[in-house]
Amino acid sequence: MYAVNFLLLSAALFSIGVFGVIARRNAVMVLMSIELILNSVNLNLVAFALINKDIDGHIFALFVIAVAAAEVGVGLGMVLMIYRNRRSIALDELSEMHG
Amino acid sequence: MIASILAQGTDWIRPHADWHALAPEIVLVVGINLVLLIDLWLDDAKKWMMATLTGFVLLAAFIPVVTLAVIGDDVRSMFFDRYVVDEYALILKAMFLLIGYVVVLISQNELEEGGYYQGEFYLMLLVSVLGMVMMTSSRDLVSIFVALELLSIPAYMMAAWRKRDTKSNEAGVKYYLLGVFASGVLLYGMSYLYGTTGTTKLTEIGAALAEADAGPGLIAMQVVAVAFIIVGFGFKVSAVPFHTWAPDTYEGAPLPVTAFLSVASKAAGFVGLVTMLYVAMFAADGVYQPFLWILAALTMSVGNVLALRQTNIVRMLAYSSVSQGGFILMPLAVLATGDAAESALKSVVIYLLIYAFSNLGAFAVILAVSRKTRSGEISSFGGLMSYAPGMGLLMTLFLASLAGIPPFGIWIAKLQAFKTVLDAGGTAAYTLAVIAAVNTVIAAAYYMKVLREMWMKPAPDGDTTPINTPQPIWAALTICAAGTVVLGILPGLVLRFADLQDLTGALGGG
Amino acid sequence: MDYSNNALLTIGTFLPLVGVLIMMFIPGSDERAHKQIAIITSGATLAVGIYTLIQFDYGNSATLQFAVNEEWIEVIKSNYIIGLDGISLPLYVLSMAVTFLVAVYTWNNVPDAGNPKAFLMLMLVLQVGMAGSFIAQDLILFFVFFELVLLPMYFMIGVWGGEDRQYASLKFFLYTMFGSALMLVAFLALFFQTGAESFSFEHLMAAGALIDHDVQVWIFAGMFIGFAVKVPMFPFHTWLPDAHTQAPTQGSVILAAILLKLGTYGFVRIALPMLPQGAHEWAPVIGILAVIGIIYGALGCLAQTDMKRLIAFSSVAHMGFVMLGISTLTTFGINAALFGMVAHGLITGMLFFVAGSIKHRYHTLEIKRLSGLLIQMPKMGWILGFAAMASLGLPGLAGFWGEFPVILAAYSPAFGVNEALFRTLMVIAAMGTVLAAGYLLWLFQRTAMGDPNPEFVSHDEPAQSLSAAANHGADADHHDEIHDVTIVEWIAWMPFLVAIVVFGVYPQLMFKVMDPAVIQLVERVGNGIP
Repeated sequence: MYAVNFLLLSAALFSIGVFGVIARRNAVMVLMSIELILNSVNLNLVAFALINKDIDGHIFALFVIAVAAAEVGVGLGMVLMIYRNRRSIALDELSEMHG
Repeated sequence: MIASILAQGTDWIRPHADWHALAPEIVLVVGINLVLLIDLWLDDAKKWMMATLTGFVLLAAFIPVVTLAVIGDDVRSMFFDRYVVDEYALILKAMFLLIGYVVVLISQNELEEGGYYQGEFYLMLLVSVLGMVMMTSSRDLVSIFVALELLSIPAYMMAAWRKRDTKSNEAGVKYYLLGVFASGVLLYGMSYLYGTTGTTKLTEIGAALAEADAGPGLIAMQVVAVAFIIVGFGFKVSAVPFHTWAPDTYEGAPLPVTAFLSVASKAAGFVGLVTMLYVAMFAADGVYQPFLWILAALTMSVGNVLALRQTNIVRMLAYSSVSQGGFILMPLAVLATGDAAESALKSVVIYLLIYAFSNLGAFAVILAVSRKTRSGEISSFGGLMSYAPGMGLLMTLFLASLAGIPPFGIWIAKLQAFKTVLDAGGTAAYTLAVIAAVNTVIAAAYYMKVLREMWMKPAPDGDTTPINTPQPIWAALTICAAGTVVLGILPGLVLRFADLQDLTGALGGG
Repeated sequence: MDYSNNALLTIGTFLPLVGVLIMMFIPGSDERAHKQIAIITSGATLAVGIYTLIQFDYGNSATLQFAVNEEWIEVIKSNYIIGLDGISLPLYVLSMAVTFLVAVYTWNNVPDAGNPKAFLMLMLVLQVGMAGSFIAQDLILFFVFFELVLLPMYFMIGVWGGEDRQYASLKFFLYTMFGSALMLVAFLALFFQTGAESFSFEHLMAAGALIDHDVQVWIFAGMFIGFAVKVPMFPFHTWLPDAHTQAPTQGSVILAAILLKLGTYGFVRIALPMLPQGAHEWAPVIGILAVIGIIYGALGCLAQTDMKRLIAFSSVAHMGFVMLGISTLTTFGINAALFGMVAHGLITGMLFFVAGSIKHRYHTLEIKRLSGLLIQMPKMGWILGFAAMASLGLPGLAGFWGEFPVILAAYSPAFGVNEALFRTLMVIAAMGTVLAAGYLLWLFQRTAMGDPNPEFVSHDEPAQSLSAAANHGADADHHDEIHDVTIVEWIAWMPFLVAIVVFGVYPQLMFKVMDPAVIQLVERVGNGIP
């Protein structure tokens, strides 16, 4: 069935996103990876809504999109903040505290 | 055009809204707008009024919670059972509002003296509390997700509130990245759950999973969904191995925010997890029981071992709070064994409540003491009993409670958790109980370290000038101490609210 | 059971908290007020205790009196059940008396670290825990009270103790915590094995006896370790000498007089009647460990150079006698053990008081440096002698009735317990009394007899012979230090001394109260054996 393709694509996007979060050091790249994860979720929801033939999935996806926008807003704000304080957005330099 | 739309809408049923049941949320929303607006016109010198206003908003939202609890224990469900106000929701709403109030009390002076944004801070706090209050009633994937984000996003900003301080930046960024990542994983699980059951309503998901479990068994996607959802909440409740953000965030964030995160945000995570487990995923016990078993055992042990070697008290409490999370998870690991469900629910609720009081209290003392010592090291507590006996006594109370020494607070929650696990029986459960018992003793060791410092060591540099503690902090300490003591001696007061029937029975799930 | 829901015991137990609350709101600098409040509160508590003594129906001492049964923690099926019978009455009142007398003693003997406010508050909290443990008739309630004594004692040793106080207090804490953890596990196991219905003693005594033999043995093992740490019995005793040596006088007295009894009381009240078969299996082990304790304690005493440490080791030996009495599982043995608990509380408490006062004056307790107490402080010396005599079990003093009957009881232990073994134990225990006489008399001889140590005299003599005016300023401290028993000490000690004689001459006073309760208990244990 063609719906499987959506799910496979979404799983691939999710995996790429998780890999990006784990492997990337650049804060903006990590943010983008998180966006990938959220979009894979959206793809899932919409595909399932099609399969299940109801509207809940679409609505859920809209909520996810709205919240993701808010999240990225906050995220970019934070990236800007650390850039101002340290002139760098490399995450592995954020290690003042450990133990 | 409009007419045609209206014509289409005739079969639209107006969802039932119980305004009394929604009153706490409504009061909070009105309060949020008030804070936002008044803050615009207030000049800087008068910003302190925002704290008072926020406190009033939280107390005002508390009133309907009380009236709802007094009126009766009927379940008020709205929006086709997607938003439910039952006793379980009420007691937790009360807890979150009270935590919010205590956090306002302890942040007031910190914010004023530190010259941070005040109006915005309280706005964020209120929004976050609103998210938590919503979380307790949400019985739908969408509303759980929205509540979770509503409580988390302001918390990310609050963690980074000291925006010139690189530590605070680091705290915020780490919390943000892992939190958002966790949300993504959680959402992915939710999308599978929705896809395989065809609904976002928790009770229906529960029924579908129960049917699948009774018949052909869960399909792979459902297993993945349950696992992902637990991982997602695992980040929120800082369960090992998803805890890595917690110590850094707790240490770097401003102290009142740390107190808020370690108590409220964590509790909200647990509330979401419990609701999901009980209402939606109850039948998937084959998946979540072993998973939670491992999480609980790892969380309490690793948290404890790391707490043992800390020299910074905030960091120590951060790890200790990780480890306490393991104890809260423990009864959930035997959730569907025998009839442990009810006992486990009571255990989680009472634990969250008493832990909230004790941990907030401990943070309030640290805040008060650090106003004088300007240090977060455990050694800075030396001689506290000699120059601030009242504060020392309170800290003793809170730490003894956290250590689980009767008759202070948490012992009863720990006992209830042990009882649940032992009652469920079986090798796995007994093993978990033994691990927990060993951890209780280990935990006592690091709490005692602080007590020893306070009672038996001299003050560092012989500085025994008394500490000057502002009134709001005293008020916060009084609330926390009263909660810790009263709930430790008379836990029955709140335990009756953790009613399993309400949570699952009335909705036909479970 | 008849629950009169009489508030008397509740008042008697929680009254000290009123004092604590009042003290909390008085600044610590007003030391006199704190001492007054502590004395008044503990005195009032004792008065309630004496009223309880008067109201107690002695013809009926086997049944619980003043019993209360109120709902407490419904979810874990634990109720607020309290009551008093012949077994707990003496210990309950003793705890009140000791706390009151210790509060009196504190009037001008505040330990070196100062801060009487915190010290006295802790002491009053301690009293609540001790009294509560003796009246609790519900396992969870008992556990809460039992644990309540942990922190105050820890702080008492750790803050107001001697040089090694931190080590000693931590050791005390960890041992007790470890014991408590195992004990709690045993309690929960007992609860579930009896059908998870109730934590009340009454229910558990009825249902516990029906548990499978092997399970009983295991649960008993958990309780055994929990209580044995507190007693302390031989392999778990190592915290005691450190704790006693380092603790302030008041702490030592309370520890010796009451806290150790919580362990033995737990055996008698909980472990034996609830797990009769377990008790039967474990009796020989307890007996052997008890006798090892007697001999080990005695030999330990002979090797000590510090007076307080010596008394601490003698405690190990005496508690060995108590445990031997319990392990015979006979009416005679348990009666004697209970008597021994009270007697040991009075006598060893007295010895620690004397040791504390000597330390206060000489700033040392090294036996080598002390001598000639009888010359320098004749009254103190004689009190020491008197307490030592009582401790070694001289007939006519209280200690005798805690040891001699135990040895007799070991001759014929309960049916089914290895007789040959217990007769051997009897012989060894009897040798223990000889050793006790040895180390106590030797202690008395070394410290009280002979000439005073010149290092303490040299300051004193010239002060008298030379012009008093010239030396008055410089030697004022020393005049102050070496003086005989003060008024406050007399007040605090007299009741101990009188009680030691009264109970020694007329032991029936206590045996009569305990006997019916003990008979019932032993019957219960006997009935539990198939």
